[in-house]
Amino acid sequence: MAHNLRNILINLAGILIAFLLGAVVMIFQGYNPLETYEALFGYSLGNTYSFMTVLKNSVPLILTGLSASVAFASGPVNLGQPGQLLMGALFATVGGLYVNLPSVLMIPFLLVSAMVGGALWSGIAGLLKRLFNMDEYITTLMMNMIADFFTYWAITYPFFEKNANHPQTPRITKNGWMPEIGDFNTNFLVTLIVFVIIWFIFYRTTNGYEWRISGKNSLFARLGGVEIEKNYMHVMLLTGALAGLAGGLIIMAGPHRFIKGLGANYAWDGIMVSMVANNGIVATLIYGIFFSILQTGALGMELITQVPSELITVLQAVIVLVVVASRGYFTLLLSKMMTKRKLKERSA
Amino acid sequence: MTESVRRDDNLTSLIEINHLVKIFPPNVVALNDVSVDFQEGEIHAIVGENGAGKSTLMKILYGMIPADSGEILYRGKPIHFANPGEAIRSKIGMVHQEILLIPQYTVWENVILGMEPLGKFNRIHRDLARKQVQDRIDEFQFNLDPDAKVEDLSVAARQKVEILKLLYRDVTFLILDEPTAVLTPQEIPQLFDELRRLRNNGHTIAFISHHLDEVLELSDRISVLRKGKKVATIPASQTSESLLAEMMVGREVVFESIKETVRPGKLIFRLQNIRLQSPNKKKLLDDVNIEVKAGEIVGIAGVEGNGQLELVEVITGLATPDQGQLLINGVNLTKASILERRKYMAFVPQDRALMGSCLNASIKENLIMTHYKLNPEFTRHGHILNDKKSTEFAYEIREKFDIQLHSIEDEMKSLSGGNQQKVILGRELLLSAPFILLDQPTRGLDVGSIEYVHQQIIRMSKENRAILLLSSDLEELFRITDRILVLHRGQIVANLITNETNINEVGYLMLEGAAHGA
Repeated sequence: MAHNLRNILINLAGILIAFLLGAVVMIFQGYNPLETYEALFGYSLGNTYSFMTVLKNSVPLILTGLSASVAFASGPVNLGQPGQLLMGALFATVGGLYVNLPSVLMIPFLLVSAMVGGALWSGIAGLLKRLFNMDEYITTLMMNMIADFFTYWAITYPFFEKNANHPQTPRITKNGWMPEIGDFNTNFLVTLIVFVIIWFIFYRTTNGYEWRISGKNSLFARLGGVEIEKNYMHVMLLTGALAGLAGGLIIMAGPHRFIKGLGANYAWDGIMVSMVANNGIVATLIYGIFFSILQTGALGMELITQVPSELITVLQAVIVLVVVASRGYFTLLLSKMMTKRKLKERSA
Repeated sequence: MTESVRRDDNLTSLIEINHLVKIFPPNVVALNDVSVDFQEGEIHAIVGENGAGKSTLMKILYGMIPADSGEILYRGKPIHFANPGEAIRSKIGMVHQEILLIPQYTVWENVILGMEPLGKFNRIHRDLARKQVQDRIDEFQFNLDPDAKVEDLSVAARQKVEILKLLYRDVTFLILDEPTAVLTPQEIPQLFDELRRLRNNGHTIAFISHHLDEVLELSDRISVLRKGKKVATIPASQTSESLLAEMMVGREVVFESIKETVRPGKLIFRLQNIRLQSPNKKKLLDDVNIEVKAGEIVGIAGVEGNGQLELVEVITGLATPDQGQLLINGVNLTKASILERRKYMAFVPQDRALMGSCLNASIKENLIMTHYKLNPEFTRHGHILNDKKSTEFAYEIREKFDIQLHSIEDEMKSLSGGNQQKVILGRELLLSAPFILLDQPTRGLDVGSIEYVHQQIIRMSKENRAILLLSSDLEELFRITDRILVLHRGQIVANLITNETNINEVGYLMLEGAAHGA
């Protein structure tokens, strides 16, 4: 408990410092920081509609964040979320263009298609590791490029919408759209369910136990009888499926079609979320929503004040750096204190 | 280097280390007030068991890690290196155990890397560089081809390249961290010839080793470290292997066996004709045969680095032997997965942090490792962890093994070394495996904890388990084993009944590999 409390305090302190630094930047640029922050949060948390938008926008951040957190905490350095997201989006789009079922079946079908698309992409990287011992952090990065151009080709040629003036597919069947309840988009509901499942797998099952221990000390896990290679493949497939699902939900909740440039930075932001969250599953959910607040609010900030929305990118980067640095610094401080105490004990 | 400085050297040491202390948090005192001096033009050996502080001492001297207190004087002046680069500028260099060269580069390219002689337009002056390297090779008679690619060289030749790299940087004080560990016996004399030649040229050499015969043969003076403290510095001519061994492991004290002799039961563990070679064809294990019967505790004695690590790797499945078989209860496990082996084998490794536990996981999570796989009570529906059972089990081990802890949910690293070892021991001994492999199970523990661990081991033998105990602590072996096997350069050179031998005989066999007069 004390440990958790300490973690929360370190994170809050980091965010506070980041906001102060952001304020300094604004003052230098001649903007009023208080006004700016007011606009930022007013536009993201000020009313129900804004908050519902925050939740809707947080979905790809949380899912790609969970993908990265589960992978990093278990050992595999899966950096392929951008590519896996695109493949998931493409699979869901194609499914939604050529299959038409009643909504109850169509939505689960498209969600599974998206996960298969993402898992296929990460699975190839997993196979390359097993067969040729190629490191996944290289192969997943390379496959991001391939996915980028492959999906670009797919929406330019085979699935191109006739008469459109830039590369995009037609809309998917309406039965595959994520339903909205008032302003609330059910894509967030799916994300919450997935979050609970992932949390359960990670903290309550033998597989999750093995992944967590292997991520921290794989030699110990191996000597204890954990089948490292099998787990590696499982983690790659699961985390690919999560990123793929993020892509599918973007299509199904948003434009309902694959447009060029879709999901551009979501996956990289998800990796950033997992880094500030220190690969914690709950922290990933919270930071995913928090970063969505910043990104959603940035638009309002730009509308109301003169501050460009790019400033939010700076703020995000500062938060990542400050939170990660203060976590490291705190550990260092602790071990320095211990050394001092030992030295004192000796001389006493 | 001016003449006046040279004259001072005759009065002072080249390097003087005073009252060095190094602590690794939370509670390891790696160096406890160590003082050593190195005189110009000597070969000075640092000996001690693993964990005695040899490498830590050298790393501090070389600027790789900072000391927590104490001082280092270079020609009488206090120095402080923030990094190895500064040490090299002061002409102090180190050759590590792992060789750090670029395999695709040639010898001369590796040597000049970072100190390239530049020609026009800042291009590397290749001819000059190659010639400079060739000159050094000739000067020290290193018998190396400067144009050979490092990947085509033997380990011994690569080591020479590492030394050459330092000589190219005009290093006069060389630190060698266990240089013979990676060499075959045939390659060692050549290295020694080269080191002597360097010394005769005025270089000073600090040399870390476990092998006392090598140390006595090569060095002028020897400093012995034990558990972070310096025991003595003595001229090599005034000591012997047995004296050094005694200083390394501790005073020869009276100890008595607490193991009752038992009539061993049926054969449980059998290692047959095990052979293992390193990639450079060094024989790591050479036709090793070991048998352990139910109720028997068999000890493996030997100086570190004589095949203990490889033996453990072969038994646990981390390494596959080139030849030979491993059988437990008659089941051939030579090619079995680690999980399959763990049904028959409990294992307490020597490295608690790396192999024995996961320091960043909770104590409870550390305790259920392996059990959750082998005992279905630890899971529900096959895949869900049974937290109730895990918690009960954790409390049971805490009770049985008297582990001092706040909460089983705390991280493993919050425990003291002794309690960490009890966690590992408890977990492994409660596996119902017929065979128990113990690798230095009391290393780094205080006297009370050692006593406790010994009693638990004895208790296991009374439960008719077969136990194999690797230990560098002879007292421990004499205290609790039935038989002692001596491992020397990868071979079992003796199989002795503990009650019928003595510490001198075993000590001599460990160092020489053969009995007196043999």
